[in-house]
Amino acid sequence: MVDPLSASMKIAASGLHAQSQRMRVVSENIANADSTGKTAGSDPYRRKTVTFENEFNRAANADLVRVKDVGKDDSAFRIEYEPGNPAADVDGYVKKPNVNILIEMADMRETSRSYEANLKMMTQTRSMVMRTIDLLRNS
Amino acid sequence: MEPVYLFSLASQRNEWLSVRQAAIAENIANANTPGYGAKDVTPFTAVFDDVAMPMVATHDGHMGGTAATSKSVDVKKGESWQVSYSGNSVSVEQEMVKATEVNEIHALTTNILKSFHRMMLTSVKG
Repeated sequence: MVDPLSASMKIAASGLHAQSQRMRVVSENIANADSTGKTAGSDPYRRKTVTFENEFNRAANADLVRVKDVGKDDSAFRIEYEPGNPAADVDGYVKKPNVNILIEMADMRETSRSYEANLKMMTQTRSMVMRTIDLLRNS
Repeated sequence: MEPVYLFSLASQRNEWLSVRQAAIAENIANANTPGYGAKDVTPFTAVFDDVAMPMVATHDGHMGGTAATSKSVDVKKGESWQVSYSGNSVSVEQEMVKATEVNEIHALTTNILKSFHRMMLTSVKG
């Protein structure tokens, strides 16, 4: 049986990892918010989504978290009239990515809050361990 | 001399607190996992009262009694502050409150242990 305090470290680390992967996908979406296709009438960048799942880890005897998969958002593309664009179709319309910057910003904020919460758990667990070790110090 | 229970009591308390800390860390890590139900551990008083009379090992061949440990249990619906649309019942704020509580009590218990130890040392050294 693993020590619960080191297990909490492991759990918080899995949370940090999952949230940073989510942050990566969010930044990919934001970076590609205006990426159109190369040829006329082709599809632009499609927004990516992240889903998490919990996975029971026998070594830590706890539910760790991990990224289940990075999926695609199937919602419709934005269509703008821009005849000069190389990606415009015969009628002059360009398909723009289905990325909404506001949604990405909200997602980013939530990710960073969750990351902070996991980090806080780590520092708190660390302080509990340090207090226990401090008992050995002769006062 | 009267038996001193305080050390074992304090270490049991700290053990329970670290199990609870692990449960809280689990909840926070899974704060964005769809369908995850928040967990908590059985209260310390319940764990402490629940200690069945263990058999005493009087011979080398006897198996020793196991210490009381707390198991994690699922939080009931009413105890969680929020349930999101994805079926996740973790409220990060609530978990933060719990974590702070655990940290405070852990500091208290460890300091009591320390000062008790100092008392014993003082009585030994004179």
